[in-house]
Amino acid sequence: MKKVVTLRVNGEQVELEVRPNQTLLDVLRDDLELTGTKRGCDSAVCGACTVIMDGEPVLSCMTLAVRCHGKNILTIEGLAEDGKLHPLQKSAIEHGAVQCGFCTPGWLLSAKALLENNPSPTPEEVQTSVSGNLCRCTGYQKIVDSILAVAEGKVHKPSKPSEEPACWKRDV
Amino acid sequence: MKLPPFEYVAPNSLTKACELLRDKKNKAIPIAGGTVLLMALKNRLKTPNLLVDLHNLPKSLHHIAYSPKQGLTLGGLVSLRQAANHTVVRDKYPIFVQALLSVGSPQLQAMGTLGGNLCQDNLCVYYNRSPMLRQALEPCHKLGGKICHTISGSKTCWATYCGDVAPALLALQAKVKIIGPGSEKVIPLQKFYTADGKKPNILKPGEILTEIQVPPPRPRSGGAYLKLRIRKAIDYPLLGAAFWHSLRNGEAVCEEATLVLTGVERAPLFIQETETLKGRRLEGKIIEDLAEAAYRRAHPLHTVCELTPKYRKDMVRVYVREAVRLALQQVLKGGTL
Repeated sequence: MKKVVTLRVNGEQVELEVRPNQTLLDVLRDDLELTGTKRGCDSAVCGACTVIMDGEPVLSCMTLAVRCHGKNILTIEGLAEDGKLHPLQKSAIEHGAVQCGFCTPGWLLSAKALLENNPSPTPEEVQTSVSGNLCRCTGYQKIVDSILAVAEGKVHKPSKPSEEPACWKRDV
Repeated sequence: MKLPPFEYVAPNSLTKACELLRDKKNKAIPIAGGTVLLMALKNRLKTPNLLVDLHNLPKSLHHIAYSPKQGLTLGGLVSLRQAANHTVVRDKYPIFVQALLSVGSPQLQAMGTLGGNLCQDNLCVYYNRSPMLRQALEPCHKLGGKICHTISGSKTCWATYCGDVAPALLALQAKVKIIGPGSEKVIPLQKFYTADGKKPNILKPGEILTEIQVPPPRPRSGGAYLKLRIRKAIDYPLLGAAFWHSLRNGEAVCEEATLVLTGVERAPLFIQETETLKGRRLEGKIIEDLAEAAYRRAHPLHTVCELTPKYRKDMVRVYVREAVRLALQQVLKGGTL
């Protein structure tokens, strides 16, 4: 039997009818069309489906949507504010921490949850925070560097998404 | 992987939850963190008609309390992260924090609960697989069949206990409170496990693990939990060693010690030989003998894909030696205890 749940997704209140056997990932991707949250292993391993729920990083593939009533959820679509990239996103581009991009939404949200609780983490703490996010392009070092750069305040000016990042500029 | 259809209810009283779980007509199972359960549902290892969500149960199940006399009391629904971040837990029970932070990944630590972790099912590579892969083999004991694929010809299930938190809590001599329909009991955690691969704990339908009680730390005590795995995150323990001990006042000799292994038997494995450590200094041959005793008692099997049983057994000696060394270092340095 379907149940009505009210969620706050990326700051907007949403009321939905969900089946008990729908995961939060199903609802985000299929009902709300927020496909930035990726379906990877679908078995609590890869971390591609990570979202932030009430300040904690959680795996949406292992969360029943019906249990999320009244929760505050942040997906990758809500990370950039007013069309301006979040410093973590900007830093990821500047450090070349994005290759195929499939793991990126997951680790960006893991990193955001870390920095909110611990604004100046050690490199080990950064590594631990993204240890539940698998990157098959093996870009871990750049991922850690990009998060540390934000923590150290090296990336703080928000930029518009239309701006071309420095690493994309080439000599023609 | 879609979840099978089921109904869902979130009662706000323990009595109601116990009744719903006990009623056989419901074919109900409880859900706490859901991290292990949802995977079992996706793999069709469990097909309940009703999920009873425990998260709306009274606040005491989400609560952490400490008193110097009674020790630490943790509600069954306290998340692993919540426990690991608690100031008192960090100060007084570092071995417990080590175990909590070695579970899965940061996401799983935020979602998983202590009660759920202690009640986690035993694992076997022939059981924890997709329905398609299971079709290739005759159903094993754990699936209701009559054979074991791990040990050919065995009349019993050999699925392995692979929890991280239980060995640390066992080393700290914790107790658990179990509430059922019209019943309430507090038992040592050691008696919670059955060493039966098919049904690893004593919980009956309608019973819920509601509380974990850890005695106050003794003066001059310390411990360490070490975990063998392929990756530094996500994996279950292929071997885990939790060693805890206290030293006599004013002397460098052992007063009490416990050693518990995980990932090598059908229940957390107590190494009884720690009795021989009493009144002796933890050094040289004494540690070697303990490591040797643990090596003899551990029987890892082909219940996991990674690392051979022989390698895991060989590593028992190494992990026990290292856990003792770290535990001793913690006490002698003054540590936090």
